[in-house]
Amino acid sequence: MVTPLGKSPDAVLRRIEAEDTGAIQSSGFDPNAFSCPVCCRVADFEPQPYASEAKMVRLMNRDAQFAVAAARLALEDAGVKVGKSHPAEEVGLFCATGLAGLPLSDITPLIEASADPEGGFDTGRFGHAGLKAVSPVLSFKILSNMPLCFVSINENIQGPNGVYTPWEGQGAQAVEAGMRALAAGDARCVLVGGCDVKTHELAFASLEQQGLFRSWGENGRGRPRPGGTPSTARGIIPGEGAVFLVLESAQDAIARGAHIYAKIAGWSLRTIAGGSDKSLVRVEALRALRLSTHLGAIVGAANGEQSRDREEKLILEAARHSAGVEIFPKKYVGDLFAAAAVLQLGLGALLAEQCGRSVLANCFSHGSVQAVFALDPP
Amino acid sequence: MKERVVITGLGVCTGVGRGVKTFWENLTAGLSGIRPLSVFDASALPVRIGGEARALNIQEMTRQFPEAAGERDRKIWLGLDAMAQALADARIGGVSFTNTPLFVGVSLETFFLEDVSPLAGKENLSLALGNLLEKRDGRPLQTPLNRLTEILGNHYGFNSGRYTNCSACVAGTQAIGEAFRQLREGAAEAAVAGASDSVLNPLAMGGFSLLQILSTENERPEGACRPFDATRQGTVLGEGAAFLVLETLEQARRRGARVYAEVLGYGSSLDAYRVTDPEPNGNGAALSMTRAIADARLTPDAIDCINAHATGTPKNDVAETRAIKRVLGTRARGIPVTANKSMTGHLIASSGAVEAVASCLTLLTGRIPPTINLLEPDPECDLDYVPKVGREFNGRTVLSNSFGFGGQNAALVFGKGDL
Repeated sequence: MVTPLGKSPDAVLRRIEAEDTGAIQSSGFDPNAFSCPVCCRVADFEPQPYASEAKMVRLMNRDAQFAVAAARLALEDAGVKVGKSHPAEEVGLFCATGLAGLPLSDITPLIEASADPEGGFDTGRFGHAGLKAVSPVLSFKILSNMPLCFVSINENIQGPNGVYTPWEGQGAQAVEAGMRALAAGDARCVLVGGCDVKTHELAFASLEQQGLFRSWGENGRGRPRPGGTPSTARGIIPGEGAVFLVLESAQDAIARGAHIYAKIAGWSLRTIAGGSDKSLVRVEALRALRLSTHLGAIVGAANGEQSRDREEKLILEAARHSAGVEIFPKKYVGDLFAAAAVLQLGLGALLAEQCGRSVLANCFSHGSVQAVFALDPP
Repeated sequence: MKERVVITGLGVCTGVGRGVKTFWENLTAGLSGIRPLSVFDASALPVRIGGEARALNIQEMTRQFPEAAGERDRKIWLGLDAMAQALADARIGGVSFTNTPLFVGVSLETFFLEDVSPLAGKENLSLALGNLLEKRDGRPLQTPLNRLTEILGNHYGFNSGRYTNCSACVAGTQAIGEAFRQLREGAAEAAVAGASDSVLNPLAMGGFSLLQILSTENERPEGACRPFDATRQGTVLGEGAAFLVLETLEQARRRGARVYAEVLGYGSSLDAYRVTDPEPNGNGAALSMTRAIADARLTPDAIDCINAHATGTPKNDVAETRAIKRVLGTRARGIPVTANKSMTGHLIASSGAVEAVASCLTLLTGRIPPTINLLEPDPECDLDYVPKVGREFNGRTVLSNSFGFGGQNAALVFGKGDL
């Protein structure tokens, strides 16, 4: 994984347990422009060490760079050598990607060159000057499937695949698709993951418009900043990163002597229809897992937004779930959106191995798709 | 026991025609839907032609889907239109879709440059963007890629899984393939799957132009897309949508539904080669075809027709031809291979869904649409591409190929619906 709290899953888990946050004052743009003043950024990230060809990196958006790195780390951790330990065509790849992936700075030259003196869009200027102002490879940074394609090229993965967008629920769907591919015998092992970058101003604009920053201030934009310190965080903290997991059948994993973190004992994906009760849908998702009430650990979806935090607590109470350990990654890593579900699941797997008991990973999110996963120790 | 899965409803809206009947009449007659663009002023762009769905009537659709009023992204409207048609065609309206999963393929977020033009010349871009948002009264700068899925889901009550597949040019085929797989495994008795796309806007057209994969033959729009022709220059972009109602054979029989075709197999693969080019020998493409045929429990000699991806770009058509030969061996030269994009243009995410509709209609009507504009065969593309005029078809299976930017591949096998 590549997250604002680091790349080592153990270290990330330890920092979350220690309530050590990656939230910082937003930078690279004027944070006063948005209701949310903070974000969780991946610091000092260099994609080159993970890319098999250096020139490929310049074609990648930041989310794809994260994806390539996280996928490489996951495969190395699993000891899967594509084309050697596993035939390339028998390795699957399913990935979720997010909205608004491109920073405004990437298209500013195009906007400038395409505007008339009054600031209106001029198709003539766009055709003659605007297109010349941007990189010809801009499309490779915009297309939602590109992170998956870069990972496949970088790792020579040739098996079944799919890309889903844009929220955490779609990350859960990528995991589901991977499990279906394994069950159907389409692949011997699958890499499932997500990547997202929500730390630039266009992403902030998108989140602001969708009302996700509402809890940062009653009056929305213009409210005095809370100072940006995590202890005062009152809402979603946009994050960035990528997380990939290697899934394979227990039989195959045991046969090749793999380190097994956890077994996915069950999952439930539910849809919140227009007008339906979100909490009820989430409770139904939990109940469908038929978990024992007392668990080893719960990886919660709470993100610091008071109403969301309270809702999850009530949902767990309604489903009568409790655990010795409860962690809430989004409060410290930030909300990784398309990558969030896979992070929840990955941390849940670590906890299952550590505590030797069943773990619940909640992937309650924006959008209509709500997911939960149950993990058993190996 | 694995369920058999059949197609019982179709809906389609493209530049070649709106509605299954018109679309099929025009496609089999070899009528091109590619014209000079009218949806926006493309006069200063290097490419000024496209497969525009001129019959799309947004006003009419707004009456049917008032919750979508104000949507500016044409793929929303195209998708709503195709979905409404498909459900009406399946005569499945009025039933609850609570246990029906929905699979929607789309490609790019639509971003209107006129919305962000006021940012030009501003020193503090972030503040200018913030101010811009305040004036937009909640209207998004980009149309989220799951917007169509959510509108459809809420309108019809698809509450058993909503999937938004963004696998570029294979999104439609993957959406149908995943729906098929879930029904076959018994996860539901019905599913609706398809895709919608429109890249006929300045940013997308400009972006694709920069990649130099588009034909610039603006003076001869109808002849600009020439898959497998030696003089082909590149593809032509289009827009369109198609949705298919999939049901288990058991449910379709139980309710007396008309069956267009059976879905027999699905496969996907990755080139793992370059994001800029297809794998030149068609290895990745061949793998998806092989997987789909194996998934159908068929052998290559059971494939009777291919609805090719056939974009009309120099590299893609050669790679696909090699892939077909690799998979079908000597049979490759003996079966018809048709290229719908010669008439529709490249519909990106929705191309696979529209071509799935054409594949089902080929099986139902016994007609294969032609590959138009194929006048001078490329020596490297030496299969039977059904040039110029359509023809009769008596086969029992059609393989439909989709190959995407970045190296994603997917294929579906359809069988005759006379079960």
